[in-house]
Amino acid sequence: MNNPYLPKLATIQKVKVETYDTTTFTLRLDDSGERKAFEYRPGQFVELSVFGAGEAPFCISSSAHGRDDFDLSVRKVGRVTGVLHEMGEGGQVGIRGPLGNCFPFEEVKGKHILFVGGGIGLFPLRPQIQDVYRERAQFASVTVLYGARTPEDLVYQDELEQWQQQEGMTCLLTVDTAADGWSGNVGVVGSLLPKVSIDVSNAVAFVCGPPIMIRFVVQDLSGMGFGDDAIITTLERHMRCGIGKCNHCMIGDKWVCKDGPVFSYREMRAMAEFEE
Amino acid sequence: MTARMLPGNKIDEFAVRLMRSAEVVAPRRVGEEDVFYGAIASPDEIAWDYGTAVEPLKRFLLPQREPILRFSTNGRIRVGAEYDEQQRVFLGVRCCDVTGVAVLDAMYGGDTVDPYYMSRRERSTFIALTCQQPEPHCFCVCGDAGPFLEGGYDQQWTALPEGMLVEIGSAAGEALVRDNEDLFAEAEVDQVAARYRLAREAEQKFGEFKSYIAGAMRKLSMNEVAPAVWEQAADRCMECGGCTYLCPTCSCFTVTDRMAGQDGVRERHWDACLYSCYAREASGHNPRPEREDRLRARFFHKISHQWAVRNGRQACVGCGRCVLGCMGWAHTPAVSEGIRRGVMT
Repeated sequence: MNNPYLPKLATIQKVKVETYDTTTFTLRLDDSGERKAFEYRPGQFVELSVFGAGEAPFCISSSAHGRDDFDLSVRKVGRVTGVLHEMGEGGQVGIRGPLGNCFPFEEVKGKHILFVGGGIGLFPLRPQIQDVYRERAQFASVTVLYGARTPEDLVYQDELEQWQQQEGMTCLLTVDTAADGWSGNVGVVGSLLPKVSIDVSNAVAFVCGPPIMIRFVVQDLSGMGFGDDAIITTLERHMRCGIGKCNHCMIGDKWVCKDGPVFSYREMRAMAEFEE
Repeated sequence: MTARMLPGNKIDEFAVRLMRSAEVVAPRRVGEEDVFYGAIASPDEIAWDYGTAVEPLKRFLLPQREPILRFSTNGRIRVGAEYDEQQRVFLGVRCCDVTGVAVLDAMYGGDTVDPYYMSRRERSTFIALTCQQPEPHCFCVCGDAGPFLEGGYDQQWTALPEGMLVEIGSAAGEALVRDNEDLFAEAEVDQVAARYRLAREAEQKFGEFKSYIAGAMRKLSMNEVAPAVWEQAADRCMECGGCTYLCPTCSCFTVTDRMAGQDGVRERHWDACLYSCYAREASGHNPRPEREDRLRARFFHKISHQWAVRNGRQACVGCGRCVLGCMGWAHTPAVSEGIRRGVMT
């Protein structure tokens, strides 16, 4: 019998410190057959085992294109992430997945693509940004708006620089609170939205960040004319099984793990009637 | 209906034969009054004249604590799993509890099968015993789960003066008759008629805990529940988790790793959506910080139309254990009536 609780073993290939509390771990499945079979789409997540400490869900934060390994960007916040952050290259972990649904890709070709990320909400957006940019000609425009609390909290700093210089892509940054040396925009990420001039009737927005940021950005986007189906987000919940059994991530009649984590604003509104 | 008779003087022999190839789980009296389902060593232990067992059947399919992974961190990590492959016959268990298993089947089967549950489930046979004298807390008539079933069992037995009328509901149930043909007699027409008369009589004997689930389901499903109902229910609920412990279909679990030296075991154990920490995230953010949020989520899962569709039926079977177990009078019939009336009484 197929056992969805059995983790595949993986080894940490690379550890890249992003900020004072976030790190990107590049993982590679140990077994070549499992590696070949491990196909995922942006938006999907895995359950990561740190054996002895436990298991927790993390979005895959890298595009699958051209790689046989993948990134998990992780904030150090609890027991599992605490032990993980002590691990280095060569450390062994367990992986279950890929789990959950994914961001629409083929369906949004031809549209203006707007990414709005707050803090570590950029983690799940990154593979989609990479995939969209790789097929840039298929999309009307690509805009990335990214905000963090302080300049120190900005993740993927090398890549942000690259995105800002890259042709065919607009990348605007902001911080809630500036620090010495910051000459960019100051304010919440929503304050960047007025700088975006795209045809919203042919646009789709991918939004991820803390709950409060999602709420305000979604309001702003609705005000700009984005339809409920054109606002896509990915949700986080406390999860155990990742396969719709333990029920921890349930919202209304949905499991975030199995029916999500990617939901349109239309789907979220239907859920919010029951839960939020 | 395919039915046979198991004469009264053959019941014990049938149980003994079942015990040769399976663990037989049956109602057993513990102390003066309480009846628990448990593995029997002899048919003499079976309490045929019981009402509701203290606990439902779920622990036989989903133990309160069970290993879902064993691993060793000695050198390169190794992982493995083991499954419970014990054959079990559940003999003389109540219709409401057999229906509870049908809900678990939907939750733990479906398009992602839970292998630990399914290993036990595939080796389980259910012989239901119809209920001729419901207890005061019972409301299975409202849960569409008794006192007699129209299906969903392998066999369903009804106690008649001359023995058990045995209804056959599955190939497994039929095989148990075929393999023990010498014990069974033909069922007479009047014996079958007696079964239907007894079912009608039993349905007239229910007490005050009518749950009127249809009315509650409509309001829950259409988001028409008066907010005061949840506040009032939250005032009464002590968040003890008793109802979730006793409910045949409450089956949320959490998972922890435990180490003994370099050998580890990943265990899952029962959890309860009423606990304040249930949905709390590592960051400290809690999407359901208030008790009324959690009560609403629990009853939505239990009796909303949306979840009834996903699980094949509503998750309340009307066993009434929450009535017995709730210290604060926030059990399903009380909340269900509150939802319907717009106020908890």
